[in-house]
This record gives sequence, C-alpha cells and structure tokens, in this order.
Amino acid sequence: MTFPIHLYRFLALLVPVRGFGPHGFPTNSMPVHTPSSEDTRIYECAVLYPSPINQKEENELLKAIDEIFAEAKATVILKDAWGERGLAYKIGGFEEANVLIAYYEMDPSKIKEIDRQLSILKGVLRHLIVKPVKNYDIAPMADRLDQWKEQVRVDRETRVREKEEKKLKQVVDKVKRAAPKKKVVDDKPMPTETVSQGVDKLISDDLNI
Amino acid sequence: MPPPNHNKNRQQKNQNRGDPRQKKCDFCEKDVVYIDYKDYPAMKPFIDYFGNIRARYYSGVCLKHQKMLRLSVERARFLGMLAYRK
Repeated sequence: MTFPIHLYRFLALLVPVRGFGPHGFPTNSMPVHTPSSEDTRIYECAVLYPSPINQKEENELLKAIDEIFAEAKATVILKDAWGERGLAYKIGGFEEANVLIAYYEMDPSKIKEIDRQLSILKGVLRHLIVKPVKNYDIAPMADRLDQWKEQVRVDRETRVREKEEKKLKQVVDKVKRAAPKKKVVDDKPMPTETVSQGVDKLISDDLNI
Repeated sequence: MPPPNHNKNRQQKNQNRGDPRQKKCDFCEKDVVYIDYKDYPAMKPFIDYFGNIRARYYSGVCLKHQKMLRLSVERARFLGMLAYRK
C-alpha cells in the first residue's frame, strides 16, 4: 500500500525524519550508529588477503592497511582477525583466504580515498567498507561461526541416533509380533479338596461300571 | 469412460499445501533491524541448494526484510563467504 508523497512530507514535520529516498520514502528506517562526535562516523571494513602467505608479507600488508587508515586519522575501535577461511569460489586463484574485520571511527569525506587505496593495494583480494546500523553490537564474530558449526554437527548426530533407535525399536516390535504366542499355563497347585473330590468321583464312576 | 478430472486433483493438492499468506516473517518475529552479511547461520535458511535467495512466496519473508537479506547476501557473495552459483 502506497501513500502520496505529500503525506510523508507532512509526517516529516511531526516526526524527526532524517531525509527522503529516491522514491519519496523516509530513509531513517535504518539509522546509522551515533559516533562520539558529529564530524566522524563508524565504519566496518572487511579485508580479504590470500592464504597461505608468508609471515613477513602478512605483517607488511597489515602494516600498509594500518597506514592507510592512520593517514585518514581513523581511530580503531575493534580488530577481529578471522584467520584462514575457505572461500565459496576462487578469488585470484586462491581457494582460501584470511579475513580481517575492523571497525574504525573516521571522517566520512575520507572514505573514497581509503576505498581507492585499498583497491590498488597489492595483496588485497577483496575489501568492503560498510556503515553498521545504530546500536550495532560491535563484537568479535570469529568464534560464532565455529560454534554454530559445532552445534549443527551435534544436532545431526542426535538426529541420526534417534532415527536408528526408532528403527531398532520398530524391528524389535515386529519380531515380537511375529513370534507365536505361548499358552499361558496356570502353575497354581490345585487345592487338595478338589483333587480328592475328583479322584473319588473317578473311582465311583469306575465301580459303577 | 468419463475423462479424468485434473481440476479435482489440483484442488486436492492445494488443500494439502499450506496457505502461503498464512506464513509469517521469521525476521519480524525476532524484531530484526539488520541482517549481518557475516552471520551465515541467519542467512542460510533463506538460500536454496544452488545459492539463490528463496522467493518471498515460499519463505514468507516480508518485503522490508527481503531487501535487507538481499543486501547482506550480496555482500557475503562479494567477500566469498557465499557462492553466487553452486
């Protein structure tokens, strides 16, 4: 359901809307994280560099990346090195790559220059700079994927075990059903009075004959 | 011999299948504001075997979250975390 743009313009007077998108819809649905000062903004930078790589080359590359951000007077909030990760497809002939996620607070006007420098930096396979949303939980995510993988493995094993147990139970039930039923023999000893009465009856019948 | 009633079979099939309009957005239920491109477990249920994003008709995701999902999947694909095509 769409409303005329005038309605949004009118609502903008009532609600503090940050701006309007290309189609006239309010763009404050995903507000950005509020930085410490008005001139700076928080950015998330993901860098992919090849693996395996020499320790020396890796250090040089990380140093070069740090220098690029240092030139822009960016302050580091968090650095999360994921380490070696398998890629979904080959990038630059590499099937595995090291992933580095870093959060910086810097002037937005210098992003273009950083983006350009990262794109021409030798040794960087891919890079991505994004603005995290408001109240984004800036925390290391490297272990989260491993935890999830472990959980998936445990779940799968449990499912397989339950399935096997169910199958085994079905087989046991089937065997039980197929086995002939034994006649229930009453092992209770007959009372002596009944036995003696029966014997007497038999003897009397024989004598009558 | 009367001709087979295909329409009847179709009706029966539709009856067995749940009404797609009744599906609820998984993200809306959890009040998701942002889908992270690094969060593979969150995106995985909405991606099929071939690496395509599932249609809203089947997954029941609302338009707002489908757009967020698309953005995060595209970012993850660019960084080699997800495949463009398997």
